[in-house]
Amino acid sequence: MRPHVRYLSAFLGARLLGYLLFGAVAWELGKLASLLPGPRLMLMGAVDVSLACVLLWYAYSARQICGHSCGDSKLVEIGAKKNSGAVGAAALGLLTGLSLCPPFVAAGIRASQLGSVVAALLFFACFFVGTSIWFVPLAGMGCIVRNQAVITVARMAMVLIAVYYLLMGAGLLLGRKANGY
Amino acid sequence: MFFHPGANTDLASRLAGAITAIFMIAMFFTMMRTGTTYRWRRWFFVSVGLLFPIGFIHNVMVMRGSMGIPIEEMIAGRTPFCFMPIPLLILPAALTRTVVFPGSIVPGGGMSGHGIAEMVGLWLAITLVVGKGWCSYACFFGGIEEGMAAIPKRPKIRKLDPRWRYGPWAVLLAMVLLSLALFEPAYCNWLCPFKAVSEYVAARNTVGLIQNGIFIVLFGALVIVLPLLTKKRTQCSWFCPFGAFQSIFNKISIFEVKIDQTRCKPCVLCQNACPNLSLSKESVAKGEALMSCMKCGACVDVCPRQAVVWHIKGTEVAWKPERARLLFLYGAWAMAVMFGGSIIAQGISTILHYFA
Repeated sequence: MRPHVRYLSAFLGARLLGYLLFGAVAWELGKLASLLPGPRLMLMGAVDVSLACVLLWYAYSARQICGHSCGDSKLVEIGAKKNSGAVGAAALGLLTGLSLCPPFVAAGIRASQLGSVVAALLFFACFFVGTSIWFVPLAGMGCIVRNQAVITVARMAMVLIAVYYLLMGAGLLLGRKANGY
Repeated sequence: MFFHPGANTDLASRLAGAITAIFMIAMFFTMMRTGTTYRWRRWFFVSVGLLFPIGFIHNVMVMRGSMGIPIEEMIAGRTPFCFMPIPLLILPAALTRTVVFPGSIVPGGGMSGHGIAEMVGLWLAITLVVGKGWCSYACFFGGIEEGMAAIPKRPKIRKLDPRWRYGPWAVLLAMVLLSLALFEPAYCNWLCPFKAVSEYVAARNTVGLIQNGIFIVLFGALVIVLPLLTKKRTQCSWFCPFGAFQSIFNKISIFEVKIDQTRCKPCVLCQNACPNLSLSKESVAKGEALMSCMKCGACVDVCPRQAVVWHIKGTEVAWKPERARLLFLYGAWAMAVMFGGSIIAQGISTILHYFA
């Protein structure tokens, strides 16, 4: 269970960092509501493409996972090297933390209207807690990671999701809206 | 089929109903007479797969003049619902009480058909009995690729990586997560190959064009080309997320396929015959099919030693397998007549009206 707690902690910690960075910027600039669509879409596109690249790298590096069911947790680290798993988890956490989904933007606008940057950071910290509760059970899922079928399914799913974000990000970076309706 | 309220009562429709009734009775009679299942079921299933697009496309052209769904129809909740997005609706509905499909829960007029609630209710009732037998007796898309797979005498590609069998689970996982994140039926919007022969969102921009391009490429590859090359139902085996979801219900259904180890001499005929790659060396050694088994009967019919048998859970392996087969077929064929039979009748009626 320890490596999974480590990965989850890295992921959530980097995600919290992303949230707090965004909260601070939103409050300092105070201009989130009036941020020009062009730069905002470019930022969203860059985050989506980066997220896709990290997911593809993760899916590729996971090919080296051994599916042994013995108790040695070192055998089930994602990625070839011992620490690259935590780095990858942190990268994913930061990118998902910066990903500008509509509720996130709405929260940013709300934070920008608060009286101080501390209030804005506290607002986003609570936002983070509320959205992170769903990740906690993942720490205990080490037993299923040792199943080769689960690893294969996860890799394939990562590729599919990465392709989606790549398409969306590329569309935004090329100046098109993600949703054409 | 003859007396459905509101159905056409002209000569062509009655003739279509009569042809369908004779066909379904003939297929069931032949299954009983010959003691085999797969070939006769396949005739029915391929007929459904070929006739469904004819009837459906004709209806959409009459109702709206185009296979493309205008956004106005989607906003009004008049998008026809098919069973494929069912697994994608569960988490958003459970967590937020929102149905992310742009359709109507109750019959809503236009092309919305009978509504989401009726479709889900029908699906649940059928699935609890036949499990993943849905994919062999009810799916109105699988017959296309099963027909394609039946055309060549021998497969051109024989060696298939067994890891592709996990594809449907990966697509299911990815689509469930994306649907929850985006609050839209992600599979319908991005990956459904059968949009190419039914309907799709009208492409008004580059994103729409990309989506429609994906549908056409996936249909061509998974439903036409790969089944011709492999003689397998590749869309079902390697891609369909609904099929992965249905596999879970195989654990509930009382009907299954088992292998009598006292009779089995591992000749791999059953493994080669399975159109869905649901038999592996390991599973045959264990005496069972994998949970992806669609209960099509191919393995049972091909086994020269009657080692592969139909089985009712809770009984001994090879205990009255013909009785197990009959009990399964009564339920499956009743459902096939209701579902597939009406599709066949509508398709034939459309063709007859065209020539009338």
